This record gives sequence, C-alpha cells and structure tokens, in this order.
Amino acid sequence: MLHVEHLNVAYDTLQVLWDVLLEVREGEIVALIGSNGAGKTTLLKTISGLMKPLYGSIRFMDETIAGLPPHDICQRGVIHVPEGRALFPRMRVIENLELGAYLPAARAQRHHMLERVYRLFPRLKERWRQDAGTLSGGEQQMVAIGRALMAQPKLLMLDEPSLGLAPVLTEAIMDVLAQLNAEGMTILLVSQEVQQALDIAHRAYVIENGRIVRSGPADELRADDAIRSAYLGL
Amino acid sequence: MLYELAQSLTSGLLIGGALAVLSVGFSMAWGITHVLNVAHCAFAVLAAYLGYWALNRWGIDPLLALPIMLPAFFLLGVAMHTLLIRATARRAHDLGLATMVLTFGLGVVMENGMLLAWTPDPRVLKTAYSALTLRVGPVIVQAPHLIAFGLAVITIGALYLFAERTFMGKAVRAVWQQPMGAALSGIDLDRVTTIAYGMAVATAAVGGVAMSLLYTFDPATHLSWLVYVFLVVILGGVGSMLGSALAGLIIGLIIGISSVFIPLAWNNLVLSGLLIVLLLLRPQGLLQR
Repeated sequence: MLHVEHLNVAYDTLQVLWDVLLEVREGEIVALIGSNGAGKTTLLKTISGLMKPLYGSIRFMDETIAGLPPHDICQRGVIHVPEGRALFPRMRVIENLELGAYLPAARAQRHHMLERVYRLFPRLKERWRQDAGTLSGGEQQMVAIGRALMAQPKLLMLDEPSLGLAPVLTEAIMDVLAQLNAEGMTILLVSQEVQQALDIAHRAYVIENGRIVRSGPADELRADDAIRSAYLGL
Repeated sequence: MLYELAQSLTSGLLIGGALAVLSVGFSMAWGITHVLNVAHCAFAVLAAYLGYWALNRWGIDPLLALPIMLPAFFLLGVAMHTLLIRATARRAHDLGLATMVLTFGLGVVMENGMLLAWTPDPRVLKTAYSALTLRVGPVIVQAPHLIAFGLAVITIGALYLFAERTFMGKAVRAVWQQPMGAALSGIDLDRVTTIAYGMAVATAAVGGVAMSLLYTFDPATHLSWLVYVFLVVILGGVGSMLGSALAGLIIGLIIGISSVFIPLAWNNLVLSGLLIVLLLLRPQGLLQR
C-alpha cells in the first residue's frame, strides 16, 4: 500500500533521514520505534507532505506522492495525526471533527462518520460544545484521532498518540487502534511506548540516527535481546 | 456637561463602528495570512475616492457603488496575494516583516497614484443625507454617522456568520489557529489564505466608504487612519473579528470622551500612549476568537 524507498530528507543543510526503506501493507499495523531524534517524526512529516524529500520515492497505492502538498496527500487517503495533536484550540470539539471531513468526498459522509467517532469515543459526544483547547490531554488525543477518522483514511499514521498520557489512557488508545485495525484500517504507528506498540503491531521498523536498522515481525523484535535491552528496559 | 458627554459618547460609539470596519480586514490579513498590510488604509482611501467619484461624476451614491467595489477589491486582493505575497513568502523567513516593507512601498505608490489622479486637495463627501440629523432624546445623531455604523454592523456581522457557519469560514479560522493541523485535514493553505486576504482587502473598501462619510480625506490620509487601525487591532487581538468590533467601539468611545475633557490636538497623544500601555499589559489583545 505504502512504499518508501531510498528516502533522504534534510532540514536545510542538516540531513536527518538516510536511505530509508519502509513498506506498509494493506490491513497491517506497522510500528516505527526509535529513540528521540532518530527521525520518526520527520519520516511521517515527509510522507504526509509537510516536508519535501531531498531524494527518494514515496508511493501510495501505486501513485507517487513524494513532494505533493499535504492537502493533496490527504485527499488520497493518507491521514497523519501529528505529534502534539495540532488541534484547533479555540474551536469546539464538533468543529474540529467536522474540519477533518473538509474534503468533498469525506464531507458527503460526515454525519455517518461522526456517529462512528462518537461510538468509538463516547466522551467526545458529551463534550461536543467545548473548545478543544480546554480538554484534558487524553480527550484531546481522542479529538485528534476522531478528526483523522472523519477524513476516511485508507492509511492512518499516528505520531506518539500516547505521549504524556496516563498508562490507563495509553492502553485505551492502543485498544482503539487495535479495534480500528480489526475493522480493516491500515495503521502506521510511531510510539515510544515500545512494549504496547509491539503488542498490537504486525511488523515493526527500528530507526536509529536517521537510518532503518532493523525490521521484521513484531513478535520477533519483541523477543530480540538487543531490542529488549535498548527499548524495553529488560 | 452631562449633555455634552452623552452627545460625545454617542458620536464616539458611531465613529467606533467605522474604525472597527476599517480595521477588521487588517486584523484578518495579519492574523490569518501573516501579511502586515500597511497599505490597507491606502486601499480604503482609494475606495473613498471611488465613492466620491461615483457620486460627483455619475450621481451614484457611494453606498450604491459599494456592491461593485466589493468584488473588485476582492479580486484586487486575490491578485495581490497570488502575485506579490506568495512570491515574497517563498523567499522571506519573517513574512510579517517582509510584507510590511512590501506593502509600505505599495502604499507609497498608491498614494502618489492618487495624488496624480485626484490632487492633494482634501475632499468632503456631500451626499443627499449629509445634513440630515436625528434627534434621540437630547442627543443629536448625524445620518452619515449612523450609516457608517450600519455599514460596520452589516460587514462585521456577515464576516462573523461566514466564519462561524460555513465550511470555508471554519477553514479560515482553522488556518489562523493551527496551520499544520489545517493542512493535515486537507485544507489547501494557499487557496484559503488567498481567499481570506481577498476578503480582507474587500472590507477595506467598506471601511474607506464608512470613513469618508465621517471625515475629509486626501491621498495622504491613509497613514493617519493606519494609526487608528493599529490601535484597534492590537487592542482587539490580531486576527479576531469580534475583537476588532469591540476594540473599535472602545477606541471610538475613548475618542468621544477625551474630546470633552482634553484639547482635540492631544487626542492622538492619548491614543498613542494607550497603545504603548496596551502592548506592555496585554499584548495578545482582548479576544482570541
């Protein structure tokens, strides 16, 4: 579904991704793990069009998307929930969700999708009138995921969806992702909660200093001694 | 004294409406598109001249000329954003600063163009209703003041409904509050900012006509109007439409009150002092939405 090949990305003169190779197949949850500053966020930003690659190819459903503007990539069904959520803080929850369905195809389906988001996160239905900026961190993350779902993603990319959340909320978010995946959603997940991410993922990539250093089935990586000591603290 | 105060407060409030509609577009352009358009009031003065011209050449009231001016100014804004500002944005690190320099130059060009076309003589708009007055209790209200206020209410009200009720309006607010989140929601930032900028320039036409109902103007007037606009936008909160409305009324009232207690010549001193105090105490302005 998504093929990233030989991807090189730089901020001005500082190169942060080197020859990245990554694939996401339809129906999978793929986890991308690595320490702070390894290049995880940059990779997602480049896939969603927020950053332009220096070199390399990104193909989604057999079409080249590298270098397209974000709204164009969004229209093709690649939806990115960024780190820090990037909600519209002084707009109501319902307005945040509606704007997720801004593009015409999603807009036509928005009432139906809103019902689905509310079923997934009943909390948001209670809070629909509130400004997004006044919600708790966990609720804001629900709005961010809800807004992404409103766009009817074919591939959902999440950057640190559980950052700064209490363990019980982290678990709830992971459960939702597993549930969405069971309903057919393809997911690319960046997380520092390596244990939980590997628990729900089918496959995973390990990124260090801008390069993919390991990849394989999640079970295999979870059993790997080097991964266990570096990322799981075992 | 009490009567004088009531009279000044009333006309101050109505003037405040004109200041609000003159400012709202400047605030939108700055907040939403990050363009510090210091030529904003040059567009307003241009609209004042066009209204004056329509009346004296063809006998068309400036209010009736507005429906033609609005789309024309919108397209002017769209062209300006597409041709000048996007090109500047690609090169500049600080778009606010870069566009301030750019639009300062544009303002000078426009001012000189207007000098050539219409001479530096101050113009007074004499409409059919210029001399009409209304008596509300002991207070006398001049019809042009009331009409300028009405223009402001309609324009800002329409903008508010656009921003609150339409998908495009919500997209504009989204781009203002969180551009990255907007882009990731499928909003075309270039398109939305260009439309918002076009609307901002279109409101300058309303602001110019409203101000020309109240004050004499000449090509250089835009700079003195700009001082008021800055004050209103800083007080109201950059980008906030309701903030501009509220701040316009407050500044109008202050102008009204101070005209009773201090000499007219000190008016700008009071307002500039207020601007400095504001920047020190509440730089984010009154409203954020």
